[in-house]
Order: sequence, then C-alpha cells, then structure tokens
Amino acid sequence: MKDISSRRRFLAAGLVLPASAFASNSRLALMEGNPMKLSSSAPPGLQYRTLGKTRLRVTTVGFGCMLTSDPSVIERAVDLGINYYDSARVYQGGNNERMVGGALKSRRKSIILSSKSGATKKEGALENLNTSLKELGTDYLDIWYLHAKSHESEITDEWLEAQRLAKKEGKIRFSGLSTHGGHTSIIPAVVRHCNEIDVLLTSYNFTMEPVIEALLESADKAGLGIVGMKVMAGGFRKAKPGEKLYDTLKREGALLAALKWVIKNPHVHTTIPSITDMDQLDENLRAMTAPFNKNDEKTLMAQLEFIRPLYCRMCGECTGACPKGLPVADVLRFLTYSEGYGQFPLGREQFLELPNEVQQVRCNLCPTCSVECPHGVNVAERLTRAQEVFAC
Amino acid sequence: MLAILVFVLLSGFTVASAAPAPDCSLVPGWQQQGPSRSYDADNLFEYMDGNAEGYLVYQFVNMHGVTCQCGDDILLIDVSEMADPELAYGIFGANRDVRQPPEKIGMAGQVLPRRATFAKDKFYVEIGASPDKNHSAALRAFVSALDKRIEGQTSPPEAIGWFPKKDLVSDSVRMVPESVLGLRLLKRGYVGQYDFGKAFLVSETTPEAASQTIAKLKERIGQTTPARVGDEAFTGTDKYLFGVCVFRKGRVVAGVANLKPGRDGIAEATGFASQIP
Repeated sequence: MKDISSRRRFLAAGLVLPASAFASNSRLALMEGNPMKLSSSAPPGLQYRTLGKTRLRVTTVGFGCMLTSDPSVIERAVDLGINYYDSARVYQGGNNERMVGGALKSRRKSIILSSKSGATKKEGALENLNTSLKELGTDYLDIWYLHAKSHESEITDEWLEAQRLAKKEGKIRFSGLSTHGGHTSIIPAVVRHCNEIDVLLTSYNFTMEPVIEALLESADKAGLGIVGMKVMAGGFRKAKPGEKLYDTLKREGALLAALKWVIKNPHVHTTIPSITDMDQLDENLRAMTAPFNKNDEKTLMAQLEFIRPLYCRMCGECTGACPKGLPVADVLRFLTYSEGYGQFPLGREQFLELPNEVQQVRCNLCPTCSVECPHGVNVAERLTRAQEVFAC
Repeated sequence: MLAILVFVLLSGFTVASAAPAPDCSLVPGWQQQGPSRSYDADNLFEYMDGNAEGYLVYQFVNMHGVTCQCGDDILLIDVSEMADPELAYGIFGANRDVRQPPEKIGMAGQVLPRRATFAKDKFYVEIGASPDKNHSAALRAFVSALDKRIEGQTSPPEAIGWFPKKDLVSDSVRMVPESVLGLRLLKRGYVGQYDFGKAFLVSETTPEAASQTIAKLKERIGQTTPARVGDEAFTGTDKYLFGVCVFRKGRVVAGVANLKPGRDGIAEATGFASQIP
C-alpha cells in the first residue's frame, strides 16, 4: 500500500511544472436550464443527461483522452457533438494534457473538460492543477478529480482543502473523485462527502458484480454526478485469447454493446471510453442512437452467464431460509467484497462478526440447500466458497 | 555431456529471464526500503491504478521495482518489459519530457531533476526521486548502472532514421502503438512533426498488405488523385488531415498529412520516399 501511494506521489511530483498565472476567465455554462448552444446547435442523434448537482448537460458518451495519440480524433469528436473530455496530469508523462489542450484550443468554450491529480498534499495538488491548466491551455477545469482512490482514508482534509481553494480561485468549477476499485468502500464514503465532492468517476461495465448498481443509485440519489469509465471492461488490452471475456468481446458489435449496456443505466450520466481512432469514435456515437437491445444482451450473454452464478445482487428476493440460521445474502455479500472487489480483509472481518455458531455452519454438509436465487446464483456453492476462504 | 546440459540450462535461463530486477546496491550508499515489487499485465493496476492502460497499450509484459533510500532521499526504480524494443522505445517517447532533448542512454533516455527514464532493448526504465530537489546526480548514477546491466538493442528503431531531417521539429518522431493519424487501418507506426505538417510511416508485413492499406485509405479519403511517388501514391484532402500525400514503397505505407496551405505534398513525400530503403 505504501508503495502504491508513493508511486502516485512520485509520478505527480515528477510532472510538476512552475505555476503560472491565468488572466482569462471566460466561461460557458453548459448547464441545465441554460440550454443555449445545446438546443440550437447540438447535432441530432446525441443523448444528454444532467451530471448530478453540477447541472452540467453532458452527452452520455464522452471522450477518454488517455490513449489518444492524434488530436484530429478529438477535434472531430467535438465537431460531432461529444461535449465531455477527460485527461489526467499523469497520462503520457504529462504529454497527454498538452495534446488535448492543443486539440481543444479553439473549442474550449463548447465543451466540458476534466483532469485529475494524484497528489496527496494540498500544495502538490494545487501545483498539479496549475500545470494542468497551463498544459490544457485553459484558465479553468470544469471538473478536477482526486485520482484513483479506493479507500475513505484517501479522501484527506488536505485534498478537500485543495479543492475548496481551487474553487474559490475560480480554477475549477466542480470537484470530483475517481475510483477503479474498492467500490463498496469508496462510493459510500464519497456519498458521505457529497457536500464537498460533486462528481464520482468510477469504473463500471457489464462484467462487474451487480452490487455496483445499488452503489451507483445511492450516489445518484445523493446528487453526485456520475461518470463511467472502463466501460468496455478493458477491451482487448486486458482480455487475452483463451479467456471468456476475450471470446465475448471479439464478437461483432460487442464493444458497442458493452458501451450501450453502461449508458442504459440512468444513474450513469456520462461515460469516458478511451478513444484512439475515428472508427471507434463513430462506433461509440452509435451507442447514443441505438439503445441496448436483445441482440446486445445476446452478444454479452456469455460473460453475463459467467458472472450470474457468482455474484449476489442483494435484491433480497431469495426464496427460502437457511434452517441453520445462516444470513445467506450477507455471507454472499462478504464473498463479493473479497472476490469481486479484491477486499479480502473487509469480507473476512464482516464474516468474523457473525455469531460463532453461524460461522461454524458448513453448507457442504447439507444434502440440499433450502435457499434459491431467482437470478441464478449458485447459492450452496458460493456459501461453501465463503466458508472455505473466511472461516479459517 | 554434463557440461552441455549445464550450458543449455544456463542459456535457457538467460533467455527466459524477465525484466532485470533493479537493485539499490547498484550505487553505493543506497539501501532498499521495503520489499521488491513485481507486476504483470493482470495486476499492474494495483500499482499504476489510473495509468495502467498507458502501459498496456505498449504491450506491457511485466515490471520489477524497488524503492531505494539514502538519507532522506528516496528513489522509486521500476523496470518494465514490453513485447519488443520498438514498443519500449514507444512508451519512452510517449512519456518523455518533450521540452527537453533525449540523451543517448540505451536506445534513448532522459535524466531530469526528479525523474529519469530510458529504453533499452525491450525494457523501459523509470526512476522517480523525492523530496523536491535536484537528484540528477543520483539518477544518473542509477541510470548508468542499469544501462550496463541491461543487454540488447541500443539503437533506436530503424524507421526513425528514414524521416527526412529538413523541416523536422527536433526529436519529434515518435512511435504510435495503434491507430496512426487516428486511423485504425494504420495499425502501428511513426509520426514526425514538420514545419509543413506531419509525416507518418507504417510498415506492413508484405507489399501486398501495404497495397491493400493504400486502397482502404483511398476509400476513406474519398476523392483522390494518383501521384508518382514510390511504388504507388495518391493525394487528397480530408477534413481533419487536411492535405495528404500517401505512398507505398515496398511494404511501407508512408506519407505527409495536415499540410499547411501552399505546401507541396508530392515534393515532401518524394523526399521522404527517397530515404526509405
């Protein structure tokens, strides 16, 4: 853990440039209730949602600039009407922000722009912000994220103070936090800080455990703007031949289906798929005009079928009850913490808080299980798995 | 017989070895802090969360790292293995400080006050330093030691040298791991920035494959005019690439794009083609 945070601190520090002053303060409010530009010049076929309490109107498909190497793709995306663009201080050693800034130079006023800082100290974060502004060629960011956090302890007073100062100085309009993992811990924490944090940027895709749905809903209800990333489950950069995910994604239209799957969730306001070329841009645009349908579901089914028996979605619709008093849904949730989110300590800690006699129950000793899941979770098998990993 | 077996085993071990593990004792006075770390493509996000894809796009294989301490100074040293030297050169180029010139360290490198990077063979080395001060002496010492430890290719990819020097923005030729010029059909190659616009180069596996790429490019651009450059060529205009002149020479597809008004794309492309063997 120490190494990880150190790494981020080092990366952030190594990219810091001298702060500079910014004179211009022109703003365009792409806000709900101020639909100028949008209603008059928005190209047809685009879908908009309001980004939570920011009231920003965003296209449901945005643009993740991390891997984009040619500015022409960004320029074309703006012309086609995509209005949300995301970069980070650390991307491509700082070169990404410069490229994005160059591409958006004449288009800044018509788009919503975000960047991120991995710094943990106030001074470092504000220095990062000044550098981001300089490299992006703008005097303000619409959203500034604390980058890649997965524990509440990482939402520090120092960082919140940096956000407050940046807002006060007009360098950012809204504050955000990005997370790739530890959702069950960090999203409720962001909800608790929703008076100080405006936007949640989170990984979200069809391969994730259903518990994420409830977390996003709670964040949306708290007024947070919600931005989805890793919406294509890492695509082929992550999936490898021979893996089930690879087989799913190589089906024609699978990546588009994956994006459509994400934006069908009304609690997700926009998305930032990494876009590297014009073809992908064109394909992603189609996600806004053609809703997720049966064919898309079929395309993704192999992976969904793979996940379904594994993860409890905590819907409370399980039939029957354990005669030995095992709180079935809870134990399945603990297993999701461990295997779905990589938080074994959290799962085990909660398991060990169960009454001792319940901890001693061994489901593999029962000939049949009296609890059934309407969504196909293999209850007995998963409970046995939980007992194997936690009760030792 | 035993000697042969030992030789084969040792050779096999050498060939199979992954990224050379960095070692704090490479420079006297430095001590390792905490355990060594290793990551592969499946778990790099645990270390590089938020930036892992920036490595995966260069076909990252694995990474070995250590944290070294000397007094209050701390260095994070990480050595990443990419799929091939071209990709190692590519990730170096993508992450280097483009306002500072690269140095001749391995294939290319840079030593800055708080950060040093270089690519050698299929390895990409990064060293970050803390606290905030000039660490270039320590960084250079570790870079030198690691450069000696890593064996293999020290010359940049050959294609870099094919870009004409005239009007080239200094050290601007970079490797692009996918979608050169933002076009998926130009899978992997190089782009250089010129006073007149851009030049690009993509090597296909065969002349026939290159010819097919030319045909697809023509189709994408729409109205084109044949030109006499290399084995086949055309000029055209694209809304985002502006004026272009694309040619094929053997299995190489190359050309110029984003031409500034008044610049002769055919002349620039002809000069480029003459550099390609």
